Amino acid sequence: METLAFQGLVGLSLAMYLWLLAAGLTIVFGVLGILNFAHGSLFMLGAYFAFTFYGLWGVNFWFAILLSLLSVGIVGYLMERLFLRHIYHLDHAYQLLLTFGFILIFDDAVKMVWGGVAKIPAMPTFFEGTFSVLGRLFPIYNVFIIGAGFLVALVLWLLFEKTWWGRMVRASASDREMASAIGVNIPTLFTGVFVFGAMLAALGGALGTPVRVVAPGIGAAMIIQAFIITVIGGLGNLKGAFVGAVIVGVLSAYSILLFPVFELFLIFVIMAVVLMVKPQGLFGR
Amino acid sequence: MKKKVGFFCLIFFFLVFIVSMPVWAQTPKKPPAKKPAAKPLGVEVIKFGGMGIMSGPLSICGRMIMMGAQSAIEEINAKGGILGSKCELKFMDDELRPAVGVKNVRYLVSEWGAHFILGVDSSGVAMAIGEIMPEMDRIYISTHASTDRLTEELVWKKGIKHIFRTTVPTYQEAILPAMIFKDFMHIKRWAGINCDYEYGYVSWSLFKETLKKYRPDVEFVASTWAPFWTMDFTPHISAALAANPDAIFSTPWGGEGVQLIRQALIMGAFDKIQLWWHPTGATTDFLEAVTSEVKADKFKGKLWVSGRYIHNWLQTPENKAFVERFVKRWAMYPFHPGQGAYDAVYFVKAALEKTRSLKTSEVIKALEGMELMTPAGRKYIRPEDHQAIYPTPAGRPVYDPAYPIAIVGDFKMIPAKEYFRHPPFEPVKISK
Repeated sequence: METLAFQGLVGLSLAMYLWLLAAGLTIVFGVLGILNFAHGSLFMLGAYFAFTFYGLWGVNFWFAILLSLLSVGIVGYLMERLFLRHIYHLDHAYQLLLTFGFILIFDDAVKMVWGGVAKIPAMPTFFEGTFSVLGRLFPIYNVFIIGAGFLVALVLWLLFEKTWWGRMVRASASDREMASAIGVNIPTLFTGVFVFGAMLAALGGALGTPVRVVAPGIGAAMIIQAFIITVIGGLGNLKGAFVGAVIVGVLSAYSILLFPVFELFLIFVIMAVVLMVKPQGLFGR
Repeated sequence: MKKKVGFFCLIFFFLVFIVSMPVWAQTPKKPPAKKPAAKPLGVEVIKFGGMGIMSGPLSICGRMIMMGAQSAIEEINAKGGILGSKCELKFMDDELRPAVGVKNVRYLVSEWGAHFILGVDSSGVAMAIGEIMPEMDRIYISTHASTDRLTEELVWKKGIKHIFRTTVPTYQEAILPAMIFKDFMHIKRWAGINCDYEYGYVSWSLFKETLKKYRPDVEFVASTWAPFWTMDFTPHISAALAANPDAIFSTPWGGEGVQLIRQALIMGAFDKIQLWWHPTGATTDFLEAVTSEVKADKFKGKLWVSGRYIHNWLQTPENKAFVERFVKRWAMYPFHPGQGAYDAVYFVKAALEKTRSLKTSEVIKALEGMELMTPAGRKYIRPEDHQAIYPTPAGRPVYDPAYPIAIVGDFKMIPAKEYFRHPPFEPVKISK
């Protein structure tokens, strides 16, 4: 029993990385109607920027994360202003083509700037050590990740439910023309939302740097999982993304413990089951 | 008007071109001012087609192959090439995908004109391209991919003579530790955290089978599997630790290996277990990444590592000179895929100097049974399975101020004859 509970806790920290990635993806889809394949690349860029500031230049860890968010925010701003803005009215196929192109460009750009070899910075010393949980040792870093994931969920909820900006975003998500008619500046709002989504992806990437490798292609490797999570939760639904991430993270951890041979395709089984039972996703409308 | 002039000019030049064609055809090709001595091999350039993983967390291994082969080629060219023919390397990314590997080999041989194929990190890719080498009529020398099936099954059983290997196969991962750790009587419970592909299956199965022979009392209490691109090993580590093992056997490599051990550290795994066998831990990318942890003795002497070559093990002049040149050229200490690729080029050189011909069947004959002094020691290519025979020890990461990064020390050595498998190879049941 303790083993199961402990493995669940490990799965929860796994889920939080996925949640940060899926949150940005689903917000951008919900509001802008764009399926951003390159979202994983923004995650990767977040990791690279954090690595550069923290691992190479020796900037304070927290400040490095902040700088990384801002840098990826700028990249997101340019992406939206110069490219995505022009394809909102086109079919999803064009959006996929364009954003897939971005994956290739970002992967190669990263190889040119940082080289193809994986980077691993040293762990900040204040994260070393473990808690004793259920008679087992649980890393402080994972506690931090779980905390960060829940904090982001709380902030997002407050932002979208309680603030004026959040209301504007929700209004334009449900009816673009009506929102525009009552004076919401849609293009500016869209840029803002896209930059916000990009920064969420960057946060996921940046938080992983002390314990994961930074390498070209990590974004593409994560994005499939993030997509599956948003599909499970219902495309464009934030609550769904959170629940989906927790389901996928925790169940993967359990299957590694209980059915290690089948772990690889578990996530696809979950998606298939959800799609059969509720094709619009758990929280989809 | 202008357009017309242009048009006529075009017609005019075209006519001149047509008319002059027979003249060109008859003009004998300009004889070279001074005829160079005929090259015994009949080619200006000997082309080596290289392959490995060049992107993602494992890419350091592919780059290593490229660096090793390139080092050898530069040295050979500086001394006038092989029998007067220069060498050249073209390196491609196989993305760890067998289909990409096969496509690359077809391109390298048929279009680029490669005379030899070398490299490859992934066992799956190596098995796939091994199968097509007879059709390509080229020799493939594996310098990293280490499933024992490449030499045992494809060469020895199936008789594909076009495959060779300059580095130790999974005997290093699996049999060597079994022979060392069999004497650790207090270690009875083993758990595996392994790669969810060929390499992991072969290593873990071979280890279990060998250890069980010596120590019927050991138990294998858990096995977890991680595919390529696993970034979070914490569920695997936690699942393995849940079975209360005395020791852990882990095969993830390259950057993934670093993540695994890093994450094991933050999970306090080294407080829980007695021993951790990480067979690819002698690679210098791994040692570099854990240098500060080694300095602080975070592993508590429980981490055991190895490689197919360890740069600070042999103190021979060949090795010292090789390491020095390599560090100077690439600003990095060499590890096995690179050293294996370096040897592959020199084996080809020695074979060509013997045959004085690029004919594949003759080069194969020359390579069989060849012995060569290399930086990794004397390597002998066993004719039966085309596997280079030489030993490399296991040891523990230690810190020595003479080196900028951690090195391997506390060597435990087993003679190659004892830990290599020999024909006829008894089949090992490979399972997940």
